[in-house]
Amino acid sequence: MSTSSHTELPALARAGHAAHCKRCLSGLPGSQVEVDGARLALSFYCIGSLDLLGVFFEKTSQFDREEWREWIWEQHISGKYGTGFRPSPFMTTAGIAEGYEYTDYDTPHIIMTYTALLCLAILRDDFSRLDRTGLTTFIRACQREDGSFSTVPGSGEFDLRTLYCAFAISSMLDDWSGINVPRAVEFISTCRTYEGGYGQSPFCEAQGGTSYIAIASLHLAPSSFLPNGPLTPAERELTVNWLLQNQAPSGGFKGRTNKEADACYCFWCGAGLHILGAKEFVDKQALAGFLASCQFKYGGISKAPGEHPDPYHTYLSLAALAMYSPYTEGAEGNEATWQFESLDPLLNAKESTARWAREHIPARSIATTGHGVGVE
Amino acid sequence: MTSPADVLYADNPAWADVTPLPQYEGVNPLAPILYTEEYKDATDYFRGIVKTGEKSPRVLELTEKIIRLNPAHYSAWQYRFETLKAVKVPLEDELKLMDELAVKYLKTYQVWHHRRLLLTESYNLEPKRELEFIAKSLKADTKNYHTWSYRQWLLAFVNDGELWVGELDFVEEMLNEDLRNNSAWHHRFFVVWLGGGGGGMGVGGTREEKERVLRRELTFTKQLISLAPNNPSAWNYLRGVLDRTETPYGLILPFVRLYIVNLSDRAGSTDIVDVENPPPSEGAQLPCTAALEFTADAYERQGDDEGRKKAVELWKVLANEQDTIRKRYWEFRIRGVEKKVGA
Repeated sequence: MSTSSHTELPALARAGHAAHCKRCLSGLPGSQVEVDGARLALSFYCIGSLDLLGVFFEKTSQFDREEWREWIWEQHISGKYGTGFRPSPFMTTAGIAEGYEYTDYDTPHIIMTYTALLCLAILRDDFSRLDRTGLTTFIRACQREDGSFSTVPGSGEFDLRTLYCAFAISSMLDDWSGINVPRAVEFISTCRTYEGGYGQSPFCEAQGGTSYIAIASLHLAPSSFLPNGPLTPAERELTVNWLLQNQAPSGGFKGRTNKEADACYCFWCGAGLHILGAKEFVDKQALAGFLASCQFKYGGISKAPGEHPDPYHTYLSLAALAMYSPYTEGAEGNEATWQFESLDPLLNAKESTARWAREHIPARSIATTGHGVGVE
Repeated sequence: MTSPADVLYADNPAWADVTPLPQYEGVNPLAPILYTEEYKDATDYFRGIVKTGEKSPRVLELTEKIIRLNPAHYSAWQYRFETLKAVKVPLEDELKLMDELAVKYLKTYQVWHHRRLLLTESYNLEPKRELEFIAKSLKADTKNYHTWSYRQWLLAFVNDGELWVGELDFVEEMLNEDLRNNSAWHHRFFVVWLGGGGGGMGVGGTREEKERVLRRELTFTKQLISLAPNNPSAWNYLRGVLDRTETPYGLILPFVRLYIVNLSDRAGSTDIVDVENPPPSEGAQLPCTAALEFTADAYERQGDDEGRKKAVELWKVLANEQDTIRKRYWEFRIRGVEKKVGA
């Protein structure tokens, strides 16, 4: 009963999608003010899209890239809860002078810290300015009694998203001393539901985004913490089944049972399946067909056909295609526009970018580069 | 308490004693927002207030203004909450304002987070009023994730027997409106099997009680499946209940089989309606994909060659006719058991 057709796809409008993201990087209209407390995350979706499209260095100037790096490092701040990145200077009144300490209303934010590290990896920063010890202190300050993590230290706003960020940061640092892993893993398990997915907090409905986050976190954690593996075989089977059930006849993925398909869930569900080794079961052609129909005529990808595009849906759609390109290598013409360099589904970054992060963020990278010894 | 909306703080004599502090932008910023004059003015004064640490009634007015312009401004929410505590405003008043803002900014995390804080801090608030408010706001958006999460959090947080009692009726009301509302099905699972609404299921409970609840849930689910057979939410719930209670899938097969044959094939057999096994509604599209999947799983779990062969037949129907988008998955399942057949 599926409408999975193998008719030819239109071109993926790569130049248009790149232009959409570049436009957002240069400025957002006042109507986008809700992004004020999440500008680094939005910047990641823009820079990340350009990276996935393979045009980041070609479409941006050396001058801009240097300025952006400086701006991101300006968000790297230290204080009583340790060091991390804030979303933007939306609560900041002056530049960082020597001995600057943040206030309780301008602290680092754990989601922004994760996206800042990825942005800097795309910019191929050497991370020599990263306060690694402060970063683990900050992660520790965000972990709550129940194992979850708050967005900013001391806040009661927490869910699985923040836990994933703590895990991804620790994995990039190759230092898990900032986390009580068993407690965090226990928190993840309380978010699991009878459907096989995970909700954003205990007792909540299974949802594609938080399910990705749970699965990725369980696979990022060092295996020594998970003597029985990330999931039992029975759990894995149920989860794969539920994730696959979310691929709608349109080819797109839904985020919850009986909801409409949405471009972002092509990534969240698709990446979950990839991590679980069930990539081959996804109908790639149908997936690409759905994303093709979400392209906005002036560039950018929207959540569903006929809606307005934004960097979030653009990035996640491209990231989905980087895992599920409908054509094999060496395709030509329109087909070639659907080709991507492969993606690291655990960190949610292009493989070469994830590799850069893992080589330059750990503390050991300073020692090795200091002696002129290359990192493996 | 609010000033006229069109007056900037910079022009308001009541704020003349506050030094506004503009935002520092630094070097060539990433994704700068072209703020409206109104937002820039309000946040300049907010940064000024934060700097002096003032916590007074006018700060409530200022933070409300910012929140209305940008409900995701988490620092404004945070400062507002601290100010509320400092000036000892009755939290009930705040909750009334939140009733309005929650409906207006239904999809913003902070609205719900603030509400949780109010409830956590003030024990004299009436949780029943909260449940009513949630029910009302779910009318506006029946699947809103934040709203449902808040209801689940509230029930677990208060954990009061009386509060649990009404939940099953509430779920049924929501399902009467839309029996494909997965949030309502999920809520039912939470209430019956994890919370205190199952008549002793959540905590302890005697064997008889457990059996009674299981029977009730199976009857309920079967009835809703019979009304709309192609409803994955109901099938997922059915499986969830069987898994939770470790009930063999095979026990339900007499019911499920009715959903894999065509109506014409069972003509004349529907005169006597078996209440345990309600048949599909007239005109339902059969065979039902979920029923095929369920039956195949039940056969596979028999663990013998006969069961495996029957499962393979059904998976072939799924792969080639009924669920071709997941063709590769069904073929994988076939390969998985074929290795075992005769082994």
